[in-house]
Amino acid sequence: MLASTASVINCVGGVNGDNPTEMTRSDVDQVVKVLKGNDSKPFLSGMAGEDKFGSAPVRWAYFALGSTDLIGDLENVSGFISQAQYPNPMNAISDAEWGSISNLRFMLSSIGSKTANSSANGNDVYNVFCVAREAYACVEQDGYSAQFIYRPPIYDGPLAQNSSAGYKMAQVPRILNDLWVQNLRCTLA
Amino acid sequence: MAQGTLLQVGSFTADGSNKRIAIRSDFDYIEVFNRTAAAQATADLGYFFHFQRGDTDGRGYLETKLGTVANDPVTVGQIAADSGFFLLDTSANPVSASTVVDSATDATRPVVSTSSTAGLAVDDVVRMTLVGQESLGGIDFQIDEVNSDSDFRIKYVMANSPGAAATSGTWRKIKYDPIFYPRRRFIANITAASSAVVRCTVDHGLTVGQEVRMHVPAVYEMIEMDGLSGTITAVTANEFTLDIDSSAFTAFVFPLPADVPFTPALVVPYGIDTGVALSNSVDDLADATENQAIIGVDLIAGDDSPAGNNNDVIEWRAFKAFSVNNE
Repeated sequence: MLASTASVINCVGGVNGDNPTEMTRSDVDQVVKVLKGNDSKPFLSGMAGEDKFGSAPVRWAYFALGSTDLIGDLENVSGFISQAQYPNPMNAISDAEWGSISNLRFMLSSIGSKTANSSANGNDVYNVFCVAREAYACVEQDGYSAQFIYRPPIYDGPLAQNSSAGYKMAQVPRILNDLWVQNLRCTLA
Repeated sequence: MAQGTLLQVGSFTADGSNKRIAIRSDFDYIEVFNRTAAAQATADLGYFFHFQRGDTDGRGYLETKLGTVANDPVTVGQIAADSGFFLLDTSANPVSASTVVDSATDATRPVVSTSSTAGLAVDDVVRMTLVGQESLGGIDFQIDEVNSDSDFRIKYVMANSPGAAATSGTWRKIKYDPIFYPRRRFIANITAASSAVVRCTVDHGLTVGQEVRMHVPAVYEMIEMDGLSGTITAVTANEFTLDIDSSAFTAFVFPLPADVPFTPALVVPYGIDTGVALSNSVDDLADATENQAIIGVDLIAGDDSPAGNNNDVIEWRAFKAFSVNNE
């Protein structure tokens, strides 16, 4: 839904010769500037610095949701702080959290969004959804969002030979405020 | 839904173009019966078509009634390549394989020369990589005037030409729209007028009354428009009129190759003005976010194809098997 409908900012600070380019600090600063300039609220408060070797304070932050293919490129962005360098790594949101840059904390997934062959040079474009609080929501209909239904053989056939599995979904995702979510598009270095 | 059943049936009156049918739960076998072709006795026409999962995509088999022969005998054969059934899943990767571009003209509607236009038709959408016209790269464009294995033309006029001819590149067909409606669209031009008219690079699908936000980066020069929101007061397939007075704005300029990289100008729909919609007899829920992805089948039109000819009455039946054992 976000890939189809959210506002877009292309990364333009990189040097890979593509459009969009690989992600750089100036691109991260630009998307934070837009979100903050639109009076959005961050998801997470900051972490104060502590006297621990190699650690660094972490700013309050919006979420940045992307693909695990970005691992490596993110580390090369100026100001990247690995979640292992947080004052308390236990404060990482989940296993998905890879680190932070400026006021974005990056959550990566192997099924993170990318648009095939969509750059000027024909490369895949990675959609990094930078979201503030209450930027979008899912509306559950009929009291549920999704159901995976498995019926074992004893219930699925008169001879109890076959089972069945299926799913049904009754939910609608919806952007609540288009100013509070930006798709930061980038390619790989 | 029990397995091994007749899953879904239907009928339609053909309009001479390809027919897309959404079939929930997918199907393993489909048959199509052209009532009109079966009833006539003056021409040789395919009247019964079938396709089973595992058959070559785009083909299938047909029975042809030889209306020009005494006693109307029937022959059986395989449907010609790309003239039968195409399995469909619009949530899948929409991008086709790339085809080489030989050149493209420096015009507001560039003509793109290519040695193969296979799979392309008027009103298809392409995404290109162009050496010499880098500013067009990665942007989806609708096309018209497809000359077989020679060239095609960008359909909707850009604010200005790309600044130079392209000397090489590739094109890819975009088979499906992004699955969620209403979609953001790339902008080809915006007029400076008391009611700004926005032209998109493809058909936009928006309606009167919908509210949109304009994103016009500085490279497009009409910076006064950036960030404004407006209500759509009139639409054509690829243009819409906004209640924004842009008459004093800087002229809109489409980027040149030297401007790469840049963020493309976009229109982002975000809501609807209920009063404007209702006063124009538009559904006031037309802006609702909707997942329009479907699974099903595309039927190709023609004498010996399942979507038939204009005004043919056609019925179809889709089946789901307990299992598919293609050895």
